[in-house]
Amino acid sequence: MERDSMSSRPLGILVVGAGAIADLHVAAITADPRCVLAGFADMNADRARTAAYRNGGVPWTADLAGALARPDVDACIVCTPNDTHENLALRVAAAGKHLLLEKPLATTVEGAEAIVEAFTRRGLVLAAAHSHRFYDYARTVRDEIASGAVGRPTLVRLALLGGWIWPDWRSWVIDPAKSGGHALHNGVHLLDLVTWWIGSRPVSVYARGQRRTATELDVHDYLEMVVRYEDGAVAICEMSRAHRPAALAQRDVVVQGTGGLLTLTWDGEGPLLWDEKGAHTLDPGVAYGFAAQLGAWLDAVTAEGAGTSVSGEEAATAVALGVAAERSMALGVPVEVL
Amino acid sequence: MRTLGVLLAGSAGAGHQNHQAEMYAPGFAAHPGFRIVGATEDRSGFDRADVDVVSVCVPFEHRVEVVTAALRAGKHVLVDKPVALTSAECAQIAAVAAETGLVCLPAYHQRFHPAIRAAREAVAAGRVGLPWNVQADFLVAGGGPVWPYGELLNFAPYATDAIHAVTGLPVTAVYALARPVEGPEDLVTLCLTHERGMTSTVVAGRTPPIAGVQGLSLHRYRISGSHGTLLADATRPGVTVRGEKGTRTAWAGHGTVHRMLTELHAAVTGGRPAELGPADALAALLLVEAAGESVATGRVVRLDNEQARVS
Repeated sequence: MERDSMSSRPLGILVVGAGAIADLHVAAITADPRCVLAGFADMNADRARTAAYRNGGVPWTADLAGALARPDVDACIVCTPNDTHENLALRVAAAGKHLLLEKPLATTVEGAEAIVEAFTRRGLVLAAAHSHRFYDYARTVRDEIASGAVGRPTLVRLALLGGWIWPDWRSWVIDPAKSGGHALHNGVHLLDLVTWWIGSRPVSVYARGQRRTATELDVHDYLEMVVRYEDGAVAICEMSRAHRPAALAQRDVVVQGTGGLLTLTWDGEGPLLWDEKGAHTLDPGVAYGFAAQLGAWLDAVTAEGAGTSVSGEEAATAVALGVAAERSMALGVPVEVL
Repeated sequence: MRTLGVLLAGSAGAGHQNHQAEMYAPGFAAHPGFRIVGATEDRSGFDRADVDVVSVCVPFEHRVEVVTAALRAGKHVLVDKPVALTSAECAQIAAVAAETGLVCLPAYHQRFHPAIRAAREAVAAGRVGLPWNVQADFLVAGGGPVWPYGELLNFAPYATDAIHAVTGLPVTAVYALARPVEGPEDLVTLCLTHERGMTSTVVAGRTPPIAGVQGLSLHRYRISGSHGTLLADATRPGVTVRGEKGTRTAWAGHGTVHRMLTELHAAVTGGRPAELGPADALAALLLVEAAGESVATGRVVRLDNEQARVS
């Protein structure tokens, strides 16, 4: 599937799953001249048709097998509920297509390993959509650590705090059977980032969860996950949909290293606006993470670049951490990372 | 304002530190409510009529003996922190203090920081609703280790005491991580569970020096409640000064030791207990011991809060 630079046909990308997150991927596809949107596949035909209509009348189908057999489909972006990732990813691999798979890679460690193995065996490019890796803040922290500015990290704090909860009780993300729980659904973003920053092997997780929005929730809307690494470093990850006021959106980063301290202040990313409703930080106009994420995956697929996308192995580590965090919360004890 | 006579007892501290000379003596000297009337390295002077308060900084092996002697001599006491090396010793001090009814104030002065006071008042006024989580960072850049003690004993109690001052919720369980593995720990992470299901994660430690930073490089608390979120950054209030020698912050207001002494003065002259007493010191030490056990075993350790209640 490698293409040379003379090739005139851009890479055809099939989007599997036409839910909310698909829009962000499609916007990235539209903006990159190296690829085109080949169509939508969704088990819900209405949803596939609506998405296709909204995107210039591209092909749509509820028949994934048929779509994967199309010769103009070179690669897939799978953005379906988490519990379907394993099955769909294995079908994409069997069809010989490259894959950008929404996080988490799978909801079990075994599932994640099976996916990685399937793509490795066929020489196909597998990347996981750990989109935060492509945000400016995350790359800044990574660059500063890599430059040696703070020495070797000994303590990392990462908090992504918000107050909005998922739409209503029918949402699959608050069904742990479908999402794997919040540690796997959103927690993997943080677990992947801090592991990338620290660059050591995670050995144990102690996680605590709360259900603040409603005691009837089956997932934790607030997570406090403490990861210990082989080199002695500790990472504290907080993922929240539980904070009040509901409009709160706070990102907090601390890296204490053997040679310095890095912090990101709550108002450190954008201009401040005071209006009749209070104080707000404006969108800082930083790079669009989904475009950078798609670009990195395309680099790896077309072998033009160094391949900076999030590899299947890294995504599988994030799954192992997420699974350990869910287990730690269920048992109330620290859990070793397998 | 009634002026209280102070006797400085001892000049020891944790490791290389001399809190008497560096913190308390200058604090008493600058405070209008106190007058230093003498100093002693043993127990002489405890019976002096012009002494109202004894400021105790004697070595740990004499702490129980000196503090209880001062209390039995009818003097109020300011005790350097940690009050003792073990909860058992602290319990002895607490028992005598309770018996005499005198003020015995453990010097966890950070809870008197204006940012922490403001947070405490906001929480007590219901501004964040019912607190369900606290995150705290207490990092000091440079200054050298307090060998042979680690920062679990030296720094962590400042932060856990501040959390207690703000929320009033005792700790029921702890999971702790510490580094380095060999020797006294310089950086600890405490995962605490409190009464009412509140959780907290506390980072405390001493880090390599940072240009422009004198002491605390990061000292802050985030209190999350049912109806709001509060960020209390104890590096504020402050102005930032940038010059040829780098960046530093400054503020002319009274420091935490001065504010603690104001509470000591108010308690003594008002004939009331100080807001911070031996029970708080005992709770802090029980937590330090439980955290130490957690570091050693890798397990979550539960605390028996009955032990911390002083009758």
